[in-house]
Amino acid sequence: MMPEILLQYEAEIWRSIGETFIMVGVAILAAILVGLPVGTLLYLCRKGHLLENKAVFSTVNLLVNTIRSFPFLLLVVFLIPFTRLIIGTAIGTAAATVPMAIIAIAHYSRLVEQSLLDVPKGIIEAAVSMGASVREVVFRFLYVESRSGLVLGLTTSTISFVSYSTIMGVVGGGGIGDFAIRYGYQQFQTELMMYMIVVMVILVQFIQFTGTTVSRMIDKR
Amino acid sequence: MIRLHQVSKRFGDSEAVKPVSLTVKQGEIYGVIGASGAGKSTLLRLMNVLEMPDQGRVEVNGQDLTSLKGRKLRDARKSIGMIFQHFNLVANKTVYDNIAVSLQLAGYPGKERRKRVIECLQFVGLESYISKYPAQLSGGQKQRVAIARALANHPDVLLCDEPTSSLDPNTTAEVLRVLEDINKRLGVTIVIVSHQMGVIKSLCNTVTVMADGGIYETISQKPAGVRDVDHNPQYFVDQLVQDGETGP
Ligand SMILES: Nc1ncnc2c1ncn2[C@@H]1O[C@H](COP(=O)(O)OP(=O)(O)O)[C@@H](O)[C@H]1O
Ligand SMILES: [Mg+2]
Repeated sequence: MMPEILLQYEAEIWRSIGETFIMVGVAILAAILVGLPVGTLLYLCRKGHLLENKAVFSTVNLLVNTIRSFPFLLLVVFLIPFTRLIIGTAIGTAAATVPMAIIAIAHYSRLVEQSLLDVPKGIIEAAVSMGASVREVVFRFLYVESRSGLVLGLTTSTISFVSYSTIMGVVGGGGIGDFAIRYGYQQFQTELMMYMIVVMVILVQFIQFTGTTVSRMIDKR
Repeated sequence: MIRLHQVSKRFGDSEAVKPVSLTVKQGEIYGVIGASGAGKSTLLRLMNVLEMPDQGRVEVNGQDLTSLKGRKLRDARKSIGMIFQHFNLVANKTVYDNIAVSLQLAGYPGKERRKRVIECLQFVGLESYISKYPAQLSGGQKQRVAIARALANHPDVLLCDEPTSSLDPNTTAEVLRVLEDINKRLGVTIVIVSHQMGVIKSLCNTVTVMADGGIYETISQKPAGVRDVDHNPQYFVDQLVQDGETGP
Protein backbone atom coordinates (compact mmCIF):
# COMPACT_ATOMS: atom_id res chain seq x y z
CA MET A 1 0.00 0.00 0.00
CA MET A 2 1.21 3.49 -0.81
CA PRO A 3 1.45 5.76 2.23
CA GLU A 4 -1.43 8.23 2.20
CA ILE A 5 0.76 11.28 1.96
CA LEU A 6 2.29 10.03 -1.30
CA LEU A 7 -1.17 9.40 -2.76
CA GLN A 8 -2.21 12.88 -1.75
CA TYR A 9 0.66 14.44 -3.70
CA GLU A 10 0.91 11.80 -6.41
CA ALA A 11 0.47 14.13 -9.39
CA GLU A 12 3.04 16.64 -8.12
CA ILE A 13 5.51 13.88 -7.32
CA TRP A 14 5.31 12.42 -10.79
CA ARG A 15 5.64 15.85 -12.30
CA SER A 16 8.73 16.65 -10.24
CA ILE A 17 10.31 13.29 -11.12
CA GLY A 18 9.65 14.15 -14.78
CA GLU A 19 11.33 17.54 -14.32
CA THR A 20 14.38 15.93 -12.75
CA PHE A 21 14.61 13.54 -15.68
CA ILE A 22 14.41 16.40 -18.18
CA MET A 23 17.12 18.43 -16.42
CA VAL A 24 19.43 15.47 -15.90
CA GLY A 25 18.69 14.11 -19.38
CA VAL A 26 19.63 17.37 -21.07
CA ALA A 27 22.77 17.53 -18.93
CA ILE A 28 23.77 14.00 -20.03
CA LEU A 29 23.17 14.88 -23.68
CA ALA A 30 25.26 18.04 -23.35
CA ALA A 31 27.99 16.05 -21.60
CA ILE A 32 28.18 13.52 -24.44
CA LEU A 33 27.65 15.85 -27.39
CA VAL A 34 29.86 18.71 -26.18
CA GLY A 35 31.73 17.57 -23.06
CA LEU A 36 33.27 14.56 -24.82
CA PRO A 37 34.69 16.61 -27.72
CA VAL A 38 35.88 19.36 -25.35
CA GLY A 39 37.60 16.80 -23.11
CA THR A 40 39.18 15.21 -26.17
CA LEU A 41 40.40 18.62 -27.32
CA LEU A 42 41.93 19.25 -23.88
CA TYR A 43 43.73 15.91 -24.11
CA LEU A 44 44.96 16.40 -27.69
CA CYS A 45 46.21 19.96 -27.09
CA ARG A 46 48.17 19.04 -23.98
CA LYS A 47 51.95 19.24 -24.03
CA GLY A 48 53.45 16.21 -25.75
CA HIS A 49 50.18 15.13 -27.38
CA LEU A 50 49.05 14.95 -30.99
CA LEU A 51 47.75 18.51 -31.43
CA GLU A 52 49.94 20.19 -28.81
CA ASN A 53 48.77 23.78 -28.68
CA LYS A 54 49.43 25.86 -25.63
CA ALA A 55 47.03 28.70 -26.47
CA VAL A 56 44.03 26.44 -27.08
CA PHE A 57 44.82 24.25 -24.10
CA SER A 58 45.23 27.16 -21.67
CA THR A 59 42.07 28.90 -22.85
CA VAL A 60 39.81 25.83 -22.69
CA ASN A 61 41.43 24.70 -19.46
CA LEU A 62 40.81 28.09 -17.83
CA LEU A 63 37.21 28.14 -19.03
CA VAL A 64 36.49 24.65 -17.66
CA ASN A 65 38.14 25.49 -14.34
CA THR A 66 36.27 28.76 -14.03
CA ILE A 67 32.88 27.17 -14.63
CA ARG A 68 33.66 24.37 -12.20
CA SER A 69 34.86 26.74 -9.46
CA PHE A 70 31.59 28.72 -9.39
CA PRO A 71 29.32 27.64 -6.55
CA PHE A 72 26.53 26.18 -8.68
CA LEU A 73 23.83 28.42 -7.24
CA LEU A 74 25.83 31.50 -8.26
CA LEU A 75 26.45 30.04 -11.71
CA VAL A 76 22.71 29.66 -12.21
CA VAL A 77 22.11 33.28 -11.22
CA PHE A 78 25.07 34.50 -13.23
CA LEU A 79 23.77 32.74 -16.35
CA ILE A 80 20.25 34.25 -16.16
CA PRO A 81 20.83 36.83 -18.93
CA PHE A 82 22.36 34.18 -21.18
CA THR A 83 19.48 31.79 -20.48
CA ARG A 84 16.95 34.47 -21.29
CA LEU A 85 18.78 35.11 -24.53
CA ILE A 86 18.57 31.55 -25.80
CA ILE A 87 15.37 30.20 -24.19
CA GLY A 88 13.42 33.46 -24.07
CA THR A 89 12.77 33.17 -20.35
CA ALA A 90 14.93 32.54 -17.30
CA ILE A 91 12.19 30.75 -15.36
CA GLY A 92 10.97 27.15 -15.64
CA THR A 93 12.29 23.70 -16.41
CA ALA A 94 13.41 24.55 -19.95
CA ALA A 95 15.37 27.53 -18.66
CA ALA A 96 16.90 25.37 -15.94
CA THR A 97 18.43 23.08 -18.56
CA VAL A 98 20.81 25.84 -19.67
CA PRO A 99 22.96 26.07 -16.51
CA MET A 100 22.64 22.28 -16.20
CA ALA A 101 24.08 21.84 -19.70
CA ILE A 102 26.90 24.30 -19.02
CA ILE A 103 28.02 22.64 -15.80
CA ALA A 104 27.62 19.22 -17.44
CA ILE A 105 30.02 20.12 -20.23
CA ALA A 106 32.63 21.47 -17.83
CA HIS A 107 32.24 18.54 -15.43
CA TYR A 108 32.37 15.71 -17.94
CA SER A 109 35.05 17.20 -20.19
CA ARG A 110 37.47 17.10 -17.25
CA LEU A 111 36.68 13.44 -16.57
CA VAL A 112 37.05 12.62 -20.27
CA GLU A 113 40.47 14.24 -20.30
CA GLN A 114 41.49 12.15 -17.26
CA SER A 115 40.28 8.90 -18.84
CA LEU A 116 42.12 9.60 -22.08
CA LEU A 117 45.31 10.36 -20.17
CA ASP A 118 45.13 6.81 -18.79
CA VAL A 119 45.54 5.32 -22.27
CA PRO A 120 49.16 4.12 -22.61
CA LYS A 121 51.08 6.45 -24.93
CA GLY A 122 52.51 3.44 -26.75
CA ILE A 123 49.09 2.70 -28.22
CA ILE A 124 48.90 6.18 -29.73
CA GLU A 125 52.41 5.73 -31.04
CA ALA A 126 51.49 2.41 -32.65
CA ALA A 127 48.44 4.04 -34.24
CA VAL A 128 50.49 6.90 -35.66
CA SER A 129 53.10 4.46 -36.96
CA MET A 130 50.30 2.68 -38.85
CA GLY A 131 49.47 5.95 -40.58
CA ALA A 132 46.34 6.86 -38.58
CA SER A 133 45.12 10.46 -38.79
CA VAL A 134 44.23 12.31 -35.59
CA ARG A 135 40.56 11.54 -36.16
CA GLU A 136 41.33 7.85 -36.64
CA VAL A 137 43.52 7.80 -33.55
CA VAL A 138 40.66 9.26 -31.52
CA PHE A 139 37.86 7.03 -32.76
CA ARG A 140 39.65 3.76 -33.46
CA PHE A 141 42.17 3.77 -30.62
CA LEU A 142 41.63 6.35 -27.86
CA TYR A 143 37.91 5.91 -27.34
CA VAL A 144 38.14 2.13 -27.70
CA GLU A 145 40.86 1.83 -25.09
CA SER A 146 39.35 4.32 -22.65
CA ARG A 147 35.71 3.31 -23.03
CA SER A 148 35.24 1.88 -19.54
CA GLY A 149 36.72 5.03 -17.99
CA LEU A 150 34.49 7.18 -20.18
CA VAL A 151 31.42 5.27 -18.96
CA LEU A 152 32.48 5.46 -15.30
CA GLY A 153 33.14 9.18 -15.73
CA LEU A 154 29.70 9.70 -17.23
CA THR A 155 28.23 7.78 -14.29
CA THR A 156 29.99 10.03 -11.78
CA SER A 157 28.93 13.09 -13.76
CA THR A 158 25.30 11.94 -13.95
CA ILE A 159 25.16 11.54 -10.19
CA SER A 160 26.51 15.08 -9.80
CA PHE A 161 23.86 16.28 -12.26
CA VAL A 162 21.15 14.75 -10.06
CA SER A 163 22.58 16.67 -7.15
CA TYR A 164 22.89 19.92 -9.14
CA SER A 165 19.28 19.54 -10.30
CA THR A 166 18.02 19.74 -6.72
CA ILE A 167 18.71 23.45 -6.46
CA MET A 168 17.03 24.41 -9.71
CA GLY A 169 13.99 25.45 -7.71
CA VAL A 170 15.59 28.91 -7.48
CA VAL A 171 14.72 29.51 -11.13
CA GLY A 172 11.48 27.56 -11.04
CA GLY A 173 13.05 24.49 -12.60
CA GLY A 174 11.20 22.14 -10.25
CA GLY A 175 12.41 18.58 -9.80
CA ILE A 176 12.40 16.12 -6.91
CA GLY A 177 14.78 18.19 -4.78
CA ASP A 178 12.67 21.31 -5.15
CA PHE A 179 9.54 19.34 -4.30
CA ALA A 180 11.18 17.92 -1.18
CA ILE A 181 12.14 21.39 -0.03
CA ARG A 182 8.89 23.18 -0.79
CA TYR A 183 6.37 20.58 0.33
CA GLY A 184 8.49 18.60 2.75
CA TYR A 185 10.83 21.04 4.48
CA GLN A 186 9.05 24.37 4.20
CA GLN A 187 5.63 22.94 5.05
CA PHE A 188 7.02 20.81 7.90
CA GLN A 189 6.01 17.53 6.27
CA THR A 190 9.13 15.68 7.34
CA GLU A 191 7.71 12.32 6.27
CA LEU A 192 7.17 13.57 2.72
CA MET A 193 10.71 14.95 2.64
CA MET A 194 12.10 11.60 3.75
CA TYR A 195 10.22 9.78 1.01
CA MET A 196 11.68 12.14 -1.57
CA ILE A 197 15.16 11.55 -0.20
CA VAL A 198 14.55 7.82 -0.59
CA VAL A 199 13.56 8.38 -4.22
CA MET A 200 16.84 10.25 -4.81
CA VAL A 201 18.87 7.53 -3.12
CA ILE A 202 17.25 4.84 -5.25
CA LEU A 203 17.86 6.88 -8.39
CA VAL A 204 21.52 7.39 -7.58
CA GLN A 205 22.02 3.71 -6.66
CA PHE A 206 20.45 2.70 -9.94
CA ILE A 207 22.70 5.04 -11.95
CA GLN A 208 25.82 3.84 -10.18
CA PHE A 209 24.90 0.17 -10.55
CA THR A 210 24.16 0.54 -14.25
CA GLY A 211 27.36 2.51 -14.88
CA THR A 212 29.57 0.09 -12.99
CA THR A 213 28.03 -2.93 -14.70
CA VAL A 214 28.33 -1.52 -18.20
CA SER A 215 31.88 -0.33 -17.66
CA ARG A 216 32.90 -3.75 -16.37
CA MET A 217 31.26 -5.51 -19.30
CA ILE A 218 33.12 -3.49 -21.92
CA ASP A 219 36.50 -3.58 -20.18
CA LYS A 220 38.73 -6.29 -21.68
CA ARG A 221 42.01 -4.96 -20.32
CA MET B 1 66.07 0.87 -48.66
CA ILE B 2 66.58 3.30 -45.79
CA ARG B 3 69.01 6.17 -45.95
CA LEU B 4 69.66 8.65 -43.20
CA HIS B 5 71.62 11.73 -44.27
CA GLN B 6 73.11 13.66 -41.36
CA VAL B 7 69.95 13.41 -39.27
CA SER B 8 69.94 14.78 -35.74
CA LYS B 9 67.42 15.21 -32.96
CA ARG B 10 67.51 17.23 -29.76
CA PHE B 11 65.17 17.14 -26.79
CA GLY B 12 65.60 20.42 -24.98
CA ASP B 13 69.25 20.73 -24.08
CA SER B 14 70.24 17.15 -24.75
CA GLU B 15 71.19 15.87 -28.16
CA ALA B 16 69.50 12.45 -28.39
CA VAL B 17 70.91 11.76 -31.87
CA LYS B 18 73.93 13.63 -33.20
CA PRO B 19 74.19 14.07 -36.97
CA VAL B 20 74.10 10.46 -38.20
CA SER B 21 74.27 8.96 -41.68
CA LEU B 22 73.60 5.32 -42.44
CA THR B 23 72.21 3.05 -45.12
CA VAL B 24 70.07 -0.03 -44.61
CA LYS B 25 70.19 -2.26 -47.68
CA GLN B 26 67.18 -3.91 -49.26
CA GLY B 27 66.49 -7.32 -47.74
CA GLU B 28 68.96 -7.19 -44.87
CA ILE B 29 68.48 -7.36 -41.12
CA TYR B 30 70.14 -4.32 -39.65
CA GLY B 31 70.90 -4.18 -35.93
CA VAL B 32 71.45 -1.21 -33.66
CA ILE B 33 72.94 -1.93 -30.26
CA GLY B 34 74.17 0.28 -27.44
CA ALA B 35 73.70 1.22 -23.81
CA SER B 36 70.41 2.50 -22.49
CA GLY B 37 70.02 6.17 -23.37
CA ALA B 38 72.43 5.92 -26.31
CA GLY B 39 69.72 7.16 -28.68
CA LYS B 40 68.75 3.84 -30.32
CA SER B 41 64.99 4.26 -30.02
CA THR B 42 65.15 7.84 -31.19
CA LEU B 43 67.20 6.78 -34.22
CA LEU B 44 64.60 4.13 -35.06
CA ARG B 45 61.72 6.58 -34.63
CA LEU B 46 63.48 8.93 -37.02
CA MET B 47 63.23 6.22 -39.69
CA ASN B 48 59.43 6.56 -39.92
CA VAL B 49 59.57 10.16 -38.72
CA LEU B 50 57.62 9.46 -35.56
CA GLU B 51 60.25 11.98 -34.51
CA MET B 52 60.77 14.69 -37.08
CA PRO B 53 64.55 15.27 -37.34
CA ASP B 54 65.85 18.74 -36.52
CA GLN B 55 68.21 18.44 -39.45
CA GLY B 56 69.02 15.99 -42.21
CA ARG B 57 67.01 13.79 -44.54
CA VAL B 58 65.28 10.46 -44.07
CA GLU B 59 64.77 8.45 -47.22
CA VAL B 60 62.80 5.21 -47.25
CA ASN B 61 62.23 3.27 -50.45
CA GLY B 62 63.40 6.21 -52.52
CA GLN B 63 60.99 8.63 -50.86
CA ASP B 64 62.16 11.59 -48.80
CA LEU B 65 59.95 11.33 -45.70
CA THR B 66 61.19 14.58 -44.19
CA SER B 67 59.58 16.52 -47.03
CA LEU B 68 56.18 14.87 -46.61
CA LYS B 69 53.28 16.17 -44.58
CA GLY B 70 49.75 15.16 -43.62
CA ARG B 71 48.15 12.54 -45.79
CA LYS B 72 51.28 11.79 -47.86
CA LEU B 73 53.31 11.14 -44.72
CA ARG B 74 50.59 8.91 -43.28
CA ASP B 75 50.46 6.94 -46.53
CA ALA B 76 54.23 6.48 -46.49
CA ARG B 77 54.04 5.14 -42.94
CA LYS B 78 51.57 2.48 -44.05
CA SER B 79 54.35 0.64 -45.85
CA ILE B 80 56.65 0.77 -42.81
CA GLY B 81 55.68 -1.68 -40.07
CA MET B 82 56.74 -1.10 -36.48
CA ILE B 83 56.77 -3.23 -33.33
CA PHE B 84 57.59 -2.19 -29.76
CA GLN B 85 58.99 -3.50 -26.51
CA HIS B 86 55.60 -3.31 -24.83
CA PHE B 87 53.65 -4.57 -27.87
CA ASN B 88 51.21 -1.65 -27.80
CA LEU B 89 48.16 -3.71 -28.73
CA VAL B 90 44.73 -2.25 -28.07
CA ALA B 91 43.58 -4.23 -25.02
CA ASN B 92 39.89 -3.66 -25.76
CA LYS B 93 40.16 -5.09 -29.28
CA THR B 94 40.33 -8.77 -30.11
CA VAL B 95 43.36 -10.18 -31.89
CA TYR B 96 41.33 -9.99 -35.10
CA ASP B 97 40.41 -6.33 -34.60
CA ASN B 98 43.93 -5.36 -33.62
CA ILE B 99 45.16 -6.57 -36.98
CA ALA B 100 42.11 -5.53 -39.00
CA VAL B 101 42.42 -1.91 -37.87
CA SER B 102 45.73 -1.58 -39.68
CA LEU B 103 44.03 -2.82 -42.86
CA GLN B 104 41.13 -0.41 -42.37
CA LEU B 105 43.52 2.49 -42.00
CA ALA B 106 45.18 1.47 -45.26
CA GLY B 107 41.83 1.32 -47.04
CA TYR B 108 42.13 -2.43 -47.62
CA PRO B 109 38.89 -3.70 -49.22
CA GLY B 110 36.46 -4.87 -46.54
CA LYS B 111 35.74 -8.28 -48.05
CA GLU B 112 39.37 -9.32 -48.24
CA ARG B 113 40.26 -8.14 -44.74
CA ARG B 114 39.33 -11.28 -42.90
CA LYS B 115 41.31 -13.44 -45.28
CA ARG B 116 44.38 -11.25 -44.90
CA VAL B 117 44.11 -11.20 -41.10
CA ILE B 118 43.96 -15.00 -41.05
CA GLU B 119 46.95 -15.22 -43.40
CA CYS B 120 49.00 -13.01 -41.11
CA LEU B 121 47.95 -14.94 -38.02
CA GLN B 122 48.91 -18.20 -39.71
CA PHE B 123 52.29 -16.72 -40.47
CA VAL B 124 52.93 -16.07 -36.77
CA GLY B 125 51.25 -19.35 -35.77
CA LEU B 126 48.33 -17.87 -33.85
CA GLU B 127 45.29 -18.45 -36.06
CA SER B 128 43.43 -20.19 -33.23
CA TYR B 129 43.70 -17.05 -31.07
CA ILE B 130 41.77 -14.85 -33.48
CA SER B 131 38.94 -13.96 -31.10
CA LYS B 132 40.98 -13.70 -27.90
CA TYR B 133 41.81 -10.41 -26.20
CA PRO B 134 45.46 -9.42 -25.58
CA ALA B 135 45.02 -9.93 -21.82
CA GLN B 136 44.50 -13.63 -22.53
CA LEU B 137 47.86 -14.01 -24.30
CA SER B 138 51.43 -14.51 -23.09
CA GLY B 139 54.08 -11.88 -23.81
CA GLY B 140 55.49 -13.82 -26.74
CA GLN B 141 52.03 -14.29 -28.23
CA LYS B 142 51.27 -10.59 -27.85
CA GLN B 143 54.44 -9.73 -29.71
CA ARG B 144 53.55 -12.17 -32.47
CA VAL B 145 50.13 -10.52 -32.82
CA ALA B 146 51.91 -7.17 -33.00
CA ILE B 147 54.11 -8.59 -35.73
CA ALA B 148 51.05 -9.86 -37.60
CA ARG B 149 49.55 -6.38 -37.31
CA ALA B 150 52.72 -4.80 -38.66
CA LEU B 151 52.83 -7.28 -41.56
CA ALA B 152 49.19 -7.04 -42.56
CA ASN B 153 49.65 -4.20 -44.98
CA HIS B 154 52.60 -5.77 -46.88
CA PRO B 155 55.28 -3.41 -45.58
CA ASP B 156 58.69 -3.09 -47.25
CA VAL B 157 60.36 -2.43 -43.93
CA LEU B 158 59.79 -3.60 -40.36
CA LEU B 159 61.16 -1.45 -37.53
CA CYS B 160 61.60 -3.27 -34.21
CA ASP B 161 62.26 -1.40 -30.97
CA GLU B 162 63.53 -3.83 -28.32
CA PRO B 163 61.17 -6.54 -29.63
CA THR B 164 62.24 -9.17 -27.10
CA SER B 165 63.36 -7.08 -24.14
CA SER B 166 60.35 -7.90 -22.00
CA LEU B 167 60.26 -11.61 -22.92
CA ASP B 168 61.85 -14.66 -21.35
CA PRO B 169 64.48 -16.69 -23.29
CA ASN B 170 62.00 -19.23 -24.69
CA THR B 171 59.56 -16.71 -26.07
CA THR B 172 62.46 -14.57 -27.25
CA ALA B 173 63.56 -17.41 -29.52
CA GLU B 174 59.99 -17.85 -30.72
CA VAL B 175 59.72 -14.16 -31.70
CA LEU B 176 63.19 -14.06 -33.27
CA ARG B 177 62.35 -17.06 -35.41
CA VAL B 178 59.27 -15.25 -36.71
CA LEU B 179 61.37 -12.19 -37.56
CA GLU B 180 63.91 -14.36 -39.35
CA ASP B 181 61.08 -15.95 -41.32
CA ILE B 182 59.62 -12.60 -42.33
CA ASN B 183 62.98 -11.56 -43.68
CA LYS B 184 63.73 -14.84 -45.51
CA ARG B 185 60.31 -15.75 -46.84
CA LEU B 186 58.72 -12.35 -47.38
CA GLY B 187 61.89 -10.42 -48.17
CA VAL B 188 61.01 -7.66 -45.70
CA THR B 189 63.94 -5.43 -44.69
CA ILE B 190 64.22 -5.36 -40.90
CA VAL B 191 65.83 -2.92 -38.49
CA ILE B 192 66.20 -4.18 -34.92
CA VAL B 193 67.13 -1.97 -32.01
CA SER B 194 68.17 -3.91 -28.93
CA HIS B 195 70.50 -3.83 -25.99
CA GLN B 196 70.58 -7.65 -26.03
CA MET B 197 73.75 -8.90 -27.72
CA GLY B 198 72.27 -12.38 -28.31
CA VAL B 199 69.41 -10.95 -30.35
CA ILE B 200 71.69 -8.85 -32.53
CA LYS B 201 74.20 -11.67 -33.07
CA SER B 202 71.60 -14.21 -34.06
CA LEU B 203 69.82 -12.18 -36.76
CA CYS B 204 71.76 -9.22 -38.11
CA ASN B 205 73.92 -8.82 -41.22
CA THR B 206 74.99 -5.33 -40.32
CA VAL B 207 75.27 -3.92 -36.82
CA THR B 208 75.72 -0.34 -35.74
CA VAL B 209 77.00 0.30 -32.24
CA MET B 210 75.66 3.54 -30.82
CA ALA B 211 77.07 5.63 -27.99
CA ASP B 212 76.03 9.08 -26.76
CA GLY B 213 73.71 9.69 -29.69
CA GLY B 214 76.32 8.94 -32.34
CA ILE B 215 77.53 5.94 -34.32
CA TYR B 216 80.52 4.37 -32.59
CA GLU B 217 81.14 1.72 -35.21
CA THR B 218 79.33 -0.29 -37.89
CA ILE B 219 80.21 -3.94 -38.42
CA SER B 220 79.22 -6.56 -40.98
CA GLN B 221 78.69 -10.06 -39.64
CA LYS B 222 77.26 -13.42 -40.48
CA PRO B 223 74.09 -13.93 -38.45
CA ALA B 224 74.47 -16.84 -36.04
CA GLY B 225 70.86 -17.96 -36.45
CA VAL B 226 68.28 -18.35 -33.73
CA ARG B 227 69.53 -20.70 -31.07
CA ASP B 228 67.14 -23.33 -29.80
CA VAL B 229 66.35 -22.72 -26.20
CA ASP B 230 65.70 -25.79 -24.14
CA HIS B 231 62.47 -25.80 -22.18
CA ASN B 232 64.19 -28.30 -19.91
CA PRO B 233 64.90 -27.03 -16.38
CA GLN B 234 68.38 -28.52 -16.72
CA TYR B 235 69.09 -25.78 -19.31
CA PHE B 236 68.73 -23.13 -16.64
CA VAL B 237 70.91 -25.16 -14.24
CA ASP B 238 73.63 -25.57 -16.90
CA GLN B 239 73.58 -21.84 -17.61
CA LEU B 240 73.89 -21.09 -13.91
CA VAL B 241 76.75 -23.52 -13.40
CA GLN B 242 78.59 -22.13 -16.42
CA ASP B 243 78.24 -18.61 -15.11
CA GLY B 244 79.31 -19.78 -11.66
CA GLU B 245 82.54 -21.30 -12.99
CA THR B 246 83.55 -18.23 -14.93
CA GLY B 247 82.44 -15.85 -12.14
CA PRO B 248 84.69 -14.34 -9.48
N1 LIG C 1 60.42 12.34 -26.00
C1 LIG C 1 61.55 12.64 -25.37
N2 LIG C 1 61.65 13.78 -24.66
C2 LIG C 1 62.80 14.12 -24.02
N3 LIG C 1 63.90 13.37 -24.03
C3 LIG C 1 63.87 12.22 -24.71
C4 LIG C 1 62.70 11.79 -25.41
N4 LIG C 1 62.97 10.59 -26.01
C5 LIG C 1 64.25 10.29 -25.70
N5 LIG C 1 64.80 11.27 -24.93
C6 LIG C 1 66.19 11.29 -24.42
O1 LIG C 1 67.04 11.01 -25.50
C7 LIG C 1 68.08 10.14 -25.11
C8 LIG C 1 68.08 8.90 -25.98
O2 LIG C 1 66.92 8.13 -25.69
P1 LIG C 1 66.53 6.81 -26.44
O3 LIG C 1 66.58 7.04 -27.89
O4 LIG C 1 65.25 6.32 -25.88
O5 LIG C 1 67.72 5.84 -26.01
P2 LIG C 1 67.79 4.25 -26.01
O6 LIG C 1 66.65 3.72 -26.81
O7 LIG C 1 69.13 3.96 -26.61
O8 LIG C 1 67.74 3.82 -24.59
C9 LIG C 1 67.88 9.85 -23.64
O9 LIG C 1 68.72 10.71 -22.90
C10 LIG C 1 66.45 10.19 -23.41
O10 LIG C 1 66.24 10.64 -22.11
MG1 LIG D 1 65.07 2.44 -26.28
